[in-house]
Amino acid sequence: MLKINNLHVAVGGTEIIKGLDLEVGSGELHAIMGPNGSGKSTLGYALVGRDGYAVTEGSVEFEGRDLLELEIEQRAAAGVFLALQYPVEIPGVNNAYFLRAALNAQRKARGEDEVDSIDFLKSVREQLKILKMDESLLKRAVNEGFSGGEKKRNEIVQLAVLEPKLAILDETDSGLDIDALKLVAEGVNRLRDSQRSFIVITHYQRLLDYLKPDRIHVLSDGRIVESGDASLAERLEREGYAFLDATEA
Amino acid sequence: MSALMEKLVPDTQAPDDGGFGLARRKALKVLMQHGFPQRKTEHWKYTPLALLEKRALQGPIAQQGERPPAPPALPFATGLVHLHNGVLDPDRSDLPSGVTLVAMLPEDIHFSELDDSGPAHAFAWLNIARFAEAWRIGVEPGLECRLAVVMSFDDGFSGVVHPRLKLELGEAATVTLVESQQGRGEGLCNRVFDIELATRSRLTHGIERASAGAAMIDRTVIDVGRDADYRAYVLDGGGPLTRQDLIVNLGHANAHGSICGVAILHDRSLVDYHTAIEHRVGPSTSAEDFRILADDQAVGVFNGRIHILPGADDSHSTMNTGNLLLSENARINTKPELEIHAEDVTASHGATIGQLDDLARFYLRSRGLDDNQAISLLKYGFAAAVFDELPEGDLRDWMIEQLRKRL
Ligand SMILES: Nc1ncnc2c1ncn2[C@@H]1O[C@H](COP(=O)(O)OP(=O)(O)O)[C@@H](O)[C@H]1O
Ligand SMILES: [Mg+2]
Repeated sequence: MLKINNLHVAVGGTEIIKGLDLEVGSGELHAIMGPNGSGKSTLGYALVGRDGYAVTEGSVEFEGRDLLELEIEQRAAAGVFLALQYPVEIPGVNNAYFLRAALNAQRKARGEDEVDSIDFLKSVREQLKILKMDESLLKRAVNEGFSGGEKKRNEIVQLAVLEPKLAILDETDSGLDIDALKLVAEGVNRLRDSQRSFIVITHYQRLLDYLKPDRIHVLSDGRIVESGDASLAERLEREGYAFLDATEA
Repeated sequence: MSALMEKLVPDTQAPDDGGFGLARRKALKVLMQHGFPQRKTEHWKYTPLALLEKRALQGPIAQQGERPPAPPALPFATGLVHLHNGVLDPDRSDLPSGVTLVAMLPEDIHFSELDDSGPAHAFAWLNIARFAEAWRIGVEPGLECRLAVVMSFDDGFSGVVHPRLKLELGEAATVTLVESQQGRGEGLCNRVFDIELATRSRLTHGIERASAGAAMIDRTVIDVGRDADYRAYVLDGGGPLTRQDLIVNLGHANAHGSICGVAILHDRSLVDYHTAIEHRVGPSTSAEDFRILADDQAVGVFNGRIHILPGADDSHSTMNTGNLLLSENARINTKPELEIHAEDVTASHGATIGQLDDLARFYLRSRGLDDNQAISLLKYGFAAAVFDELPEGDLRDWMIEQLRKRL
């Protein structure tokens, strides 16, 4: 599904990702952990093509295509989705309208028909129910006045409605209480299937307990310095990132 | 005599004084004495009157015997007053019972509040001096109705017209008025519209306007009665010179006035809003919200004055103006002015000029919208909030549809 090879990303002239390799197969869920400032969000932004996140070296192949050649919205239509660490408020733009416009834009780019508006509303309402979000959120402006937790859950609603092939979740669990965390984890688990892959950026073992990742990677200073199975997360939880320095030394 | 004077007040075109002699003579006298605003005239700095000097500003204003084209579609079936090239189109004007349309009488022309000591109100004086027709629309007390005033122009329109209208709402009348103004040609439309709201009446006033050529100078003055409620919602799509003076007089207890507007400006459009809300008696309340989105080389001006006079104690007012600069060559000038001479008053104002939020743009694109769609949606989100409070659903939907078309 995704093959990242020797990726280098610079932001404002400073190299942040410094030669990163990662392969994610169809249906797999990988977790990325690592200290603050290690480049986790930068990796997410670079994968979806945000301006200012310049790929200076390396390649990213997504389902056999060169992902880096595509515009932001083309990557979305191809099936790449990033749940932002800090979801953006869009004043004056109705949440339901935005979701439908986004879905239809993606469908159009893929040569598919527009969604039926009744089916669409049904499916959005269902997702809201799963995430225990009030239906009135649909009528409100995107993320405006949402609580931190509502914003994060709203990202998962978008994820569920847009049904990407690769979802990158950037600290979606940060700032959530345990109930909201469970809801998010359930939301993600429901969407897992053999055709959909996840990269989950997190600081916490808690979320991973629910998600049961196939692989865990530790990102430090722009590189993956350690990869392993679920036991790696447990070790990080116990020892923190300090052991990385020890292994490097 | 200045070039503008010769163009706009040629001796040869004096209309029949129609019994308005006194007012017309006074108006001419002020014009002759003070002329038209210059670049340095207060409140006219940004209105490019030089454009009028360059225009021929003559030629027939109505094609003889030709039937004016049908007015544009309106949000709802309504009583209609249609002016074509500034002149009443009687065939298409049609009003419900309880609403009258009659020629104005001399006592309908008020000019005591016009400045006769300088050129600031020259166009209002010019209207008095030169209007060809002046119509009074009366709504009987207690009536609930919807009305439209539509102004259209020929493509070849190159004259100067001075339509004059007055709308009087009887006691406790409830009216939704929608105005559609579609400028064409190369002329000038210099309109004055007086609106009077009697006690407990309510007026929701939508104005949708754009000009493909004609310069549009409009002065609308609203007198709001006791316990009466006036709400204006303006949507401008631009034009070479659009000047809107909007004056709301709150001269009776519990009068409310709110005025909101959005201008979506492209190319070399210029829209200049000069608004004034005059709290003369308290308690009275007002609210104001104007948003200008200027792209290309467009120019937007907002000068909003809120004046709380002595005696208007316990009055409350909020004013907000938010503006988006969408190109390096666009310009926006905003000046909120607050003057308070009363007690137990609350008044607030805020003004911002910003650009599109790159992060929001990225966010929308990352969900699949292309850049143009993302920009339109952000512009829409910025502007549409102004119409959120519009109490009349049909009018709101229509204004929002017109807004979407312009993004
Ligand atoms: N827009 C930016 N401009 C300059 N530096 C940035 C920008 N975004 C991130 N950085 C820097 O890049 C590094 C990695 O940031 P980030 O990817 O957000 O880390 P993480 O998500 O792992 O906490 C940090 O040192 C941060 O200061
Ligand atoms: Mg981060």
